[in-house]
Amino acid sequence: MGMAMRIAISSTYPFTAMAFRRGFVSALPFIASNGIAGVVMGVAYRGLELGFVPAVLFSLVVYSATAQAVTLGLWALPPPIAAMVAACGATNARYLVMGAHLRQLFPDVPRRVILPILFLLADASWMMTVAEAERGRRDAGYLLGSSLPMAIGWIGGTALGYAAPLMPHGPLAIAAAFLPLAFVTALLPTQWRGWQSLMPWAVSAAVGVAVAGTIGQSWAMLIGGGAGTLVSVLRGGDA
Amino acid sequence: MPDWRILAVIVVLGAVSYALRTGGFLAASALPQGGLLPRLLRMAPGNLFIAFVAAGIWQGGLPSLVGCCGAVAAMAATKREWAALGAGFAGAAFASALL
Repeated sequence: MGMAMRIAISSTYPFTAMAFRRGFVSALPFIASNGIAGVVMGVAYRGLELGFVPAVLFSLVVYSATAQAVTLGLWALPPPIAAMVAACGATNARYLVMGAHLRQLFPDVPRRVILPILFLLADASWMMTVAEAERGRRDAGYLLGSSLPMAIGWIGGTALGYAAPLMPHGPLAIAAAFLPLAFVTALLPTQWRGWQSLMPWAVSAAVGVAVAGTIGQSWAMLIGGGAGTLVSVLRGGDA
Repeated sequence: MPDWRILAVIVVLGAVSYALRTGGFLAASALPQGGLLPRLLRMAPGNLFIAFVAAGIWQGGLPSLVGCCGAVAAMAATKREWAALGAGFAGAAFASALL
Protein backbone atom coordinates (compact mmCIF):
# COMPACT_ATOMS: atom_id res chain seq x y z
CA MET A 1 0.00 0.00 0.00
CA GLY A 2 2.71 2.42 1.05
CA MET A 3 4.90 1.44 -1.87
CA ALA A 4 2.07 1.82 -4.36
CA MET A 5 1.26 5.28 -2.98
CA ARG A 6 4.91 6.34 -3.06
CA ILE A 7 5.34 5.42 -6.72
CA ALA A 8 2.03 6.91 -7.73
CA ILE A 9 2.76 10.17 -5.95
CA SER A 10 6.47 10.57 -6.74
CA SER A 11 6.26 10.32 -10.51
CA THR A 12 4.40 8.86 -13.44
CA TYR A 13 7.40 6.78 -14.45
CA PRO A 14 9.62 4.30 -12.55
CA PHE A 15 12.63 6.25 -11.33
CA THR A 16 13.07 6.32 -7.56
CA ALA A 17 15.80 7.27 -5.11
CA MET A 18 15.19 4.05 -3.22
CA ALA A 19 15.98 1.95 -6.27
CA PHE A 20 19.01 4.13 -7.00
CA ARG A 21 20.41 3.41 -3.53
CA ARG A 22 19.64 -0.29 -3.84
CA GLY A 23 21.42 -0.49 -7.20
CA PHE A 24 24.41 1.52 -5.96
CA VAL A 25 24.91 -0.67 -2.89
CA SER A 26 24.45 -3.88 -4.88
CA ALA A 27 27.11 -2.81 -7.38
CA LEU A 28 29.69 -1.57 -4.85
CA PRO A 29 31.94 -4.65 -5.36
CA PHE A 30 32.41 -3.47 -8.94
CA ILE A 31 34.48 -0.56 -7.66
CA ALA A 32 37.13 -3.14 -6.77
CA SER A 33 36.77 -5.50 -9.75
CA ASN A 34 36.44 -2.77 -12.38
CA GLY A 35 39.14 -0.85 -10.52
CA ILE A 36 41.64 -3.66 -10.94
CA ALA A 37 40.79 -4.00 -14.62
CA GLY A 38 41.06 -0.21 -14.95
CA VAL A 39 44.50 -0.28 -13.34
CA VAL A 40 45.60 -2.78 -15.96
CA MET A 41 44.24 -0.56 -18.71
CA GLY A 42 46.05 2.44 -17.21
CA VAL A 43 49.34 0.54 -17.19
CA ALA A 44 48.78 -0.46 -20.81
CA TYR A 45 48.05 3.16 -21.80
CA ARG A 46 51.22 4.32 -20.10
CA GLY A 47 53.11 1.67 -22.06
CA LEU A 48 51.90 3.43 -25.21
CA GLU A 49 53.13 6.77 -23.77
CA LEU A 50 49.61 8.09 -24.31
CA GLY A 51 49.70 10.73 -21.57
CA PHE A 52 47.75 10.81 -18.30
CA VAL A 53 44.91 13.06 -19.46
CA PRO A 54 44.20 11.18 -22.72
CA ALA A 55 44.38 7.85 -20.84
CA VAL A 56 41.75 8.95 -18.31
CA LEU A 57 39.68 10.61 -21.05
CA PHE A 58 39.68 7.33 -22.96
CA SER A 59 38.08 5.50 -20.03
CA LEU A 60 35.75 8.41 -19.25
CA VAL A 61 34.49 9.17 -22.77
CA VAL A 62 34.62 5.76 -24.47
CA TYR A 63 33.90 3.81 -21.24
CA SER A 64 34.01 0.35 -22.77
CA ALA A 65 36.63 -2.19 -21.67
CA THR A 66 36.16 -4.27 -24.78
CA ALA A 67 36.32 -1.42 -27.26
CA GLN A 68 39.26 0.14 -25.44
CA ALA A 69 41.12 -3.18 -25.37
CA VAL A 70 40.52 -3.81 -29.05
CA THR A 71 41.48 -0.30 -30.13
CA LEU A 72 44.53 -0.54 -27.89
CA GLY A 73 45.54 -3.58 -29.92
CA LEU A 74 45.17 -1.51 -33.10
CA TRP A 75 47.12 1.46 -31.72
CA ALA A 76 49.64 3.16 -33.99
CA LEU A 77 50.70 6.71 -34.86
CA PRO A 78 48.98 8.12 -36.78
CA PRO A 79 45.99 6.25 -35.31
CA PRO A 80 44.06 4.10 -37.86
CA ILE A 81 40.77 5.84 -37.03
CA ALA A 82 38.63 4.02 -39.61
CA ALA A 83 39.73 0.59 -38.39
CA MET A 84 39.29 1.69 -34.77
CA VAL A 85 35.77 3.00 -35.41
CA ALA A 86 34.82 -0.21 -37.20
CA ALA A 87 36.28 -2.31 -34.38
CA CYS A 88 34.62 -0.17 -31.69
CA GLY A 89 31.27 -0.36 -33.47
CA ALA A 90 31.53 -4.09 -34.06
CA THR A 91 32.55 -5.01 -30.52
CA ASN A 92 29.93 -2.72 -28.97
CA ALA A 93 27.10 -3.83 -31.26
CA ARG A 94 25.66 -5.73 -28.31
CA TYR A 95 24.65 -2.38 -26.78
CA LEU A 96 22.08 -2.04 -29.56
CA VAL A 97 20.37 -5.18 -28.32
CA MET A 98 20.63 -4.08 -24.67
CA GLY A 99 19.24 -0.65 -25.55
CA ALA A 100 16.36 -2.17 -27.48
CA HIS A 101 15.59 -4.40 -24.50
CA LEU A 102 15.68 -1.42 -22.12
CA ARG A 103 13.20 0.39 -24.36
CA GLN A 104 10.80 -2.50 -23.83
CA LEU A 105 11.50 -2.41 -20.10
CA PHE A 106 11.13 1.36 -19.68
CA PRO A 107 8.78 2.61 -22.42
CA ASP A 108 7.34 5.15 -19.99
CA VAL A 109 10.62 6.75 -18.88
CA PRO A 110 11.22 10.07 -20.69
CA ARG A 111 14.19 10.27 -23.03
CA ARG A 112 15.61 13.25 -21.11
CA VAL A 113 15.98 10.87 -18.15
CA ILE A 114 17.04 7.61 -19.79
CA LEU A 115 19.44 8.90 -22.48
CA PRO A 116 21.97 10.40 -20.01
CA ILE A 117 21.81 7.20 -17.93
CA LEU A 118 22.67 5.16 -21.01
CA PHE A 119 26.05 6.93 -21.17
CA LEU A 120 27.00 4.70 -18.22
CA LEU A 121 25.35 1.53 -19.51
CA ALA A 122 27.52 -1.52 -18.88
CA ASP A 123 27.00 -5.22 -19.46
CA ALA A 124 26.73 -5.95 -15.75
CA SER A 125 24.42 -3.05 -14.89
CA TRP A 126 22.11 -4.06 -17.75
CA MET A 127 22.00 -7.64 -16.48
CA MET A 128 21.40 -6.52 -12.89
CA THR A 129 18.59 -4.19 -13.98
CA VAL A 130 16.92 -6.89 -16.05
CA ALA A 131 17.13 -9.32 -13.12
CA GLU A 132 15.71 -6.67 -10.79
CA ALA A 133 12.79 -6.09 -13.17
CA GLU A 134 12.12 -9.83 -13.32
CA ARG A 135 11.77 -9.71 -9.52
CA GLY A 136 9.00 -7.16 -9.99
CA ARG A 137 11.11 -4.07 -9.24
CA ARG A 138 11.27 -2.31 -12.62
CA ASP A 139 13.05 1.00 -11.98
CA ALA A 140 15.42 3.15 -14.06
CA GLY A 141 16.90 4.47 -10.82
CA TYR A 142 18.35 1.01 -10.25
CA LEU A 143 20.06 1.14 -13.65
CA LEU A 144 21.72 4.46 -12.77
CA GLY A 145 22.63 3.35 -9.25
CA SER A 146 24.21 0.08 -10.36
CA SER A 147 26.06 1.74 -13.25
CA LEU A 148 27.83 4.37 -11.12
CA PRO A 149 30.18 2.12 -9.08
CA MET A 150 31.25 0.38 -12.27
CA ALA A 151 32.17 3.69 -13.89
CA ILE A 152 33.93 4.94 -10.76
CA GLY A 153 36.02 1.76 -10.59
CA TRP A 154 36.91 1.74 -14.26
CA ILE A 155 37.83 5.42 -14.62
CA GLY A 156 39.52 5.68 -11.22
CA GLY A 157 41.42 2.46 -11.85
CA THR A 158 42.71 3.75 -15.17
CA ALA A 159 44.01 6.91 -13.49
CA LEU A 160 45.59 4.91 -10.68
CA GLY A 161 47.18 2.41 -13.05
CA TYR A 162 48.68 5.18 -15.12
CA ALA A 163 50.00 7.11 -12.14
CA ALA A 164 51.27 4.13 -10.10
CA PRO A 165 55.04 3.64 -10.14
CA LEU A 166 54.99 0.36 -12.05
CA MET A 167 57.62 -0.07 -14.77
CA PRO A 168 57.16 -3.50 -16.38
CA HIS A 169 60.16 -4.92 -18.19
CA GLY A 170 61.19 -8.34 -19.50
CA PRO A 171 58.49 -10.98 -18.98
CA LEU A 172 56.32 -8.43 -17.16
CA ALA A 173 56.45 -6.11 -20.16
CA ILE A 174 55.43 -8.97 -22.46
CA ALA A 175 52.61 -9.88 -20.09
CA ALA A 176 51.48 -6.23 -19.96
CA ALA A 177 51.41 -6.10 -23.76
CA PHE A 178 49.24 -9.21 -23.64
CA LEU A 179 46.60 -7.63 -21.40
CA PRO A 180 44.35 -6.22 -24.15
CA LEU A 181 44.05 -9.74 -25.44
CA ALA A 182 43.30 -10.96 -21.91
CA PHE A 183 40.38 -8.50 -21.64
CA VAL A 184 38.69 -9.96 -24.68
CA THR A 185 39.63 -13.54 -23.78
CA ALA A 186 37.99 -13.16 -20.37
CA LEU A 187 34.69 -12.38 -22.09
CA LEU A 188 34.77 -15.50 -24.27
CA PRO A 189 32.97 -17.84 -21.80
CA THR A 190 30.07 -15.39 -21.61
CA GLN A 191 29.55 -15.71 -25.36
CA TRP A 192 29.73 -19.52 -25.59
CA ARG A 193 26.35 -20.96 -26.54
CA GLY A 194 27.29 -24.65 -26.31
CA TRP A 195 28.42 -26.89 -29.12
CA GLN A 196 26.50 -24.91 -31.71
CA SER A 197 29.15 -22.21 -31.25
CA LEU A 198 31.94 -24.57 -32.26
CA MET A 199 31.67 -24.35 -36.05
CA PRO A 200 31.18 -20.56 -36.32
CA TRP A 201 33.97 -19.96 -33.79
CA ALA A 202 36.33 -22.30 -35.66
CA VAL A 203 35.65 -20.40 -38.87
CA SER A 204 36.10 -17.04 -37.10
CA ALA A 205 39.41 -18.16 -35.61
CA ALA A 206 40.76 -19.68 -38.82
CA VAL A 207 39.82 -16.70 -40.97
CA GLY A 208 41.11 -14.32 -38.29
CA VAL A 209 44.52 -16.01 -38.26
CA ALA A 210 44.63 -16.10 -42.07
CA VAL A 211 43.81 -12.40 -42.26
CA ALA A 212 46.37 -11.53 -39.58
CA GLY A 213 49.03 -13.35 -41.59
CA THR A 214 48.12 -11.75 -44.91
CA ILE A 215 46.14 -8.51 -44.81
CA GLY A 216 47.11 -7.47 -41.28
CA GLN A 217 46.25 -7.75 -37.60
CA SER A 218 43.98 -4.69 -37.74
CA TRP A 219 41.36 -6.43 -39.86
CA ALA A 220 41.58 -9.94 -38.43
CA MET A 221 38.75 -9.46 -35.94
CA LEU A 222 36.33 -7.80 -38.33
CA ILE A 223 36.81 -10.14 -41.28
CA GLY A 224 37.21 -13.28 -39.17
CA GLY A 225 34.26 -12.43 -36.94
CA GLY A 226 32.17 -11.50 -39.96
CA ALA A 227 32.90 -14.87 -41.56
CA GLY A 228 31.90 -16.73 -38.39
CA THR A 229 28.72 -14.69 -38.01
CA LEU A 230 27.85 -15.46 -41.63
CA VAL A 231 28.29 -19.17 -40.91
CA SER A 232 25.96 -18.82 -37.93
CA VAL A 233 23.31 -17.16 -40.06
CA LEU A 234 23.60 -19.74 -42.84
CA ARG A 235 23.32 -22.61 -40.36
CA GLY A 236 20.25 -21.06 -38.85
CA GLY A 237 21.62 -21.47 -35.36
CA ASP A 238 21.70 -19.03 -32.47
CA ALA A 239 25.47 -18.85 -31.82
CA MET B 1 49.42 18.94 -24.52
CA PRO B 2 47.91 15.80 -26.00
CA ASP B 3 48.31 15.17 -29.70
CA TRP B 4 45.16 16.38 -31.49
CA ARG B 5 44.94 13.04 -33.31
CA ILE B 6 44.70 11.22 -29.99
CA LEU B 7 41.93 13.53 -28.82
CA ALA B 8 40.16 13.04 -32.15
CA VAL B 9 40.27 9.28 -31.66
CA ILE B 10 38.86 9.61 -28.14
CA VAL B 11 36.03 11.90 -29.25
CA VAL B 12 35.12 9.76 -32.27
CA LEU B 13 35.21 6.46 -30.36
CA GLY B 14 33.24 8.05 -27.51
CA ALA B 15 30.60 9.20 -29.98
CA VAL B 16 30.41 5.73 -31.53
CA SER B 17 30.06 4.08 -28.13
CA TYR B 18 27.34 6.48 -26.97
CA ALA B 19 25.52 6.19 -30.30
CA LEU B 20 25.41 2.42 -29.86
CA ARG B 21 24.28 2.70 -26.23
CA THR B 22 21.39 4.98 -27.17
CA GLY B 23 20.78 3.75 -30.73
CA GLY B 24 19.13 0.51 -29.73
CA PHE B 25 16.82 2.32 -27.31
CA LEU B 26 15.82 4.96 -29.85
CA ALA B 27 15.40 2.53 -32.73
CA ALA B 28 13.64 -0.19 -30.77
CA SER B 29 10.16 0.92 -31.69
CA ALA B 30 11.02 0.89 -35.39
CA LEU B 31 12.99 -2.37 -35.49
CA PRO B 32 11.30 -5.75 -35.98
CA GLN B 33 11.26 -7.75 -32.76
CA GLY B 34 12.26 -10.93 -34.59
CA GLY B 35 14.10 -11.79 -37.77
CA LEU B 36 17.66 -11.46 -39.00
CA LEU B 37 18.95 -8.23 -37.45
CA PRO B 38 18.44 -9.10 -33.75
CA ARG B 39 20.01 -12.51 -34.43
CA LEU B 40 23.00 -10.93 -36.14
CA LEU B 41 23.50 -8.53 -33.22
CA ARG B 42 23.26 -11.37 -30.76
CA MET B 43 25.70 -13.64 -32.60
CA ALA B 44 28.32 -11.10 -33.67
CA PRO B 45 30.17 -10.44 -30.35
CA GLY B 46 31.30 -14.03 -29.73
CA ASN B 47 32.53 -14.48 -33.28
CA LEU B 48 34.36 -11.15 -33.22
CA PHE B 49 35.97 -11.94 -29.87
CA ILE B 50 37.27 -15.35 -30.93
CA ALA B 51 38.69 -13.99 -34.20
CA PHE B 52 40.50 -11.25 -32.25
CA VAL B 53 41.85 -13.76 -29.72
CA ALA B 54 42.98 -16.27 -32.36
CA ALA B 55 44.83 -13.61 -34.33
CA GLY B 56 46.38 -12.27 -31.12
CA ILE B 57 47.60 -15.72 -30.09
CA TRP B 58 49.00 -16.30 -33.56
CA GLN B 59 50.93 -13.05 -33.31
CA GLY B 60 51.97 -13.32 -29.65
CA GLY B 61 53.04 -16.96 -29.62
CA LEU B 62 53.28 -19.24 -26.59
CA PRO B 63 53.06 -16.55 -23.86
CA SER B 64 49.78 -15.32 -25.36
CA LEU B 65 48.46 -18.86 -25.67
CA VAL B 66 49.29 -19.70 -22.05
CA GLY B 67 47.89 -16.38 -20.85
CA CYS B 68 44.65 -16.83 -22.80
CA CYS B 69 44.17 -20.36 -21.46
CA GLY B 70 44.70 -19.05 -17.94
CA ALA B 71 42.24 -16.20 -18.46
CA VAL B 72 39.53 -18.46 -19.91
CA ALA B 73 39.97 -21.05 -17.14
CA ALA B 74 39.84 -18.42 -14.40
CA MET B 75 36.81 -16.72 -15.94
CA ALA B 76 34.96 -20.01 -16.33
CA ALA B 77 35.74 -20.96 -12.73
CA THR B 78 35.21 -17.63 -10.96
CA LYS B 79 33.00 -15.54 -13.31
CA ARG B 80 35.24 -12.60 -12.25
CA GLU B 81 36.99 -10.52 -14.89
CA TRP B 82 39.67 -9.32 -12.49
CA ALA B 83 40.54 -12.94 -11.64
CA ALA B 84 40.74 -13.81 -15.33
CA LEU B 85 43.00 -10.83 -15.98
CA GLY B 86 45.27 -11.78 -13.09
CA ALA B 87 45.52 -15.40 -14.23
CA GLY B 88 46.14 -14.35 -17.83
CA PHE B 89 48.81 -11.85 -16.82
CA ALA B 90 50.56 -14.41 -14.60
CA GLY B 91 50.40 -17.12 -17.26
CA ALA B 92 51.83 -14.88 -19.98
CA ALA B 93 54.61 -13.62 -17.69
CA PHE B 94 55.49 -17.17 -16.59
CA ALA B 95 55.60 -18.55 -20.15
CA SER B 96 57.62 -15.57 -21.30
CA ALA B 97 60.16 -16.09 -18.49
CA LEU B 98 60.59 -19.74 -19.45
CA LEU B 99 61.32 -18.96 -23.12
